Amino acid sequence: MGFYFVTFRSVTFAQRADRLLSQRGIRVNLMRTPRWMEEQGCGYALKLWTDDISRVVYLLRESKIQLRKVYAQREDGEMEEVKL
Amino acid sequence: MIYLDNGATSFHKPSAVYQAVQDALHSCANPGRGGYAAARKAADVVYGCREQAGKLFGCLPEQVVLTTSCTHGLNLAIRSLVKPGSTVVVSGFEHNAVTRPLHALGTKIRIAGRKLFDWEDTLNDFESQLDGADAAVFTQTSNVFGYILPVEQMAAMCREQGIPFVIDAAQSAGTLPISMETLGADFIAMPGHKGLLGPQGTGLLLCKDRGEPLLYGGTGSYSRQQTMPPELPDRLEAGTLNVPGYAGLTEGLRYLNKTGVETIFRREHQLLRRCVRGLQKAGMRVYAGDHQAATVSFLPGMDCEEAAEELARQGIAVRAGLHCAPCAHESAGTLETGTVRVSIGYGTFEKQIAAFLQSASKLPRFS
Repeated sequence: MGFYFVTFRSVTFAQRADRLLSQRGIRVNLMRTPRWMEEQGCGYALKLWTDDISRVVYLLRESKIQLRKVYAQREDGEMEEVKL
Repeated sequence: MIYLDNGATSFHKPSAVYQAVQDALHSCANPGRGGYAAARKAADVVYGCREQAGKLFGCLPEQVVLTTSCTHGLNLAIRSLVKPGSTVVVSGFEHNAVTRPLHALGTKIRIAGRKLFDWEDTLNDFESQLDGADAAVFTQTSNVFGYILPVEQMAAMCREQGIPFVIDAAQSAGTLPISMETLGADFIAMPGHKGLLGPQGTGLLLCKDRGEPLLYGGTGSYSRQQTMPPELPDRLEAGTLNVPGYAGLTEGLRYLNKTGVETIFRREHQLLRRCVRGLQKAGMRVYAGDHQAATVSFLPGMDCEEAAEELARQGIAVRAGLHCAPCAHESAGTLETGTVRVSIGYGTFEKQIAAFLQSASKLPRFS
């Protein structure tokens, strides 16, 4: 199972996403967005573990949760943005 | 003290409210600013408040903007919707928290519906005044007389004509059902410390989808950007939030969600009927009618402020004067005299109404 970062600009959206995904049994960890992931400075992210990131993004968008970006771990261990 | 001034603030609160304020003071840092435990705890407290409010008022957590008071929320809403010099329709029972911001913007104010407890008059006049207006702002319940306005129908009229509108729920939040989704209001403003049973210095502004800031500053988001963030609630919440206050408010909201506002309304309305009957029997001029919340104004046969002073000497807390609502007093014909207002709430019980009526019966009768 891979892990991902989903970033948000507002802590409120990050918190709502945290509650929503946790209720669906998805393992999540709410944290400050790593500085390099947020060019506008300051935000919150969910680190999450899933086999189906597309489903996660669909759930968030269906619930009108505004997310910024999604990052996935590459085979070499680095994180890179993925477009979904 | 027999406290009958719940229209000003709810003096008695559920015990969980006091405890939550104290716990937050001991455990919370600044919400939305850091990733350490105390900052996370503060963010959880704030989110919990939005969540409980969303549950009670049928909206999403991010649509709940935390304010310092209902007045703050109304100023945000009015400044967001109303352009200087535009035409705005208000009811005949507005508080200065509505009319002063409108006057400050130089708006043309149309007052609709002056008859107390008369839905037909309110609706007919409101509909005719809406023609050509730019916005509407109206209270759900008069803070002076307890008149419950037909806001569902007024909201429907605004929606049909495409006129943006704001509802002032200062006196109704926590005692009447309010659904953001059903009403379709652009904004609904309310205090946290009255019917919602939270501490003073708290309020909520429910927003449909937009808003213009009154304050500019740090939000913990978009830090490199020199304009306020586009998203709610951050856009309208510059500066550090009153976390202990919202911790308490969360517990007030939780109590309301658990108890149900309909239950609260029924209980308080029974006390109101008893109070109205007793005041009438004591020879007071009583302003009562259908569509009345648990607030009643009356006039004894003496100056209203002196009457309130006399009651205060007997340990009874009521409010006299104009109640910051000259518009409402003008509508009722009491602008010159003012009234004595009794407002029932969480901490009011039968025995207190009985004791109040006993004292009130000794005031000079209205002639």
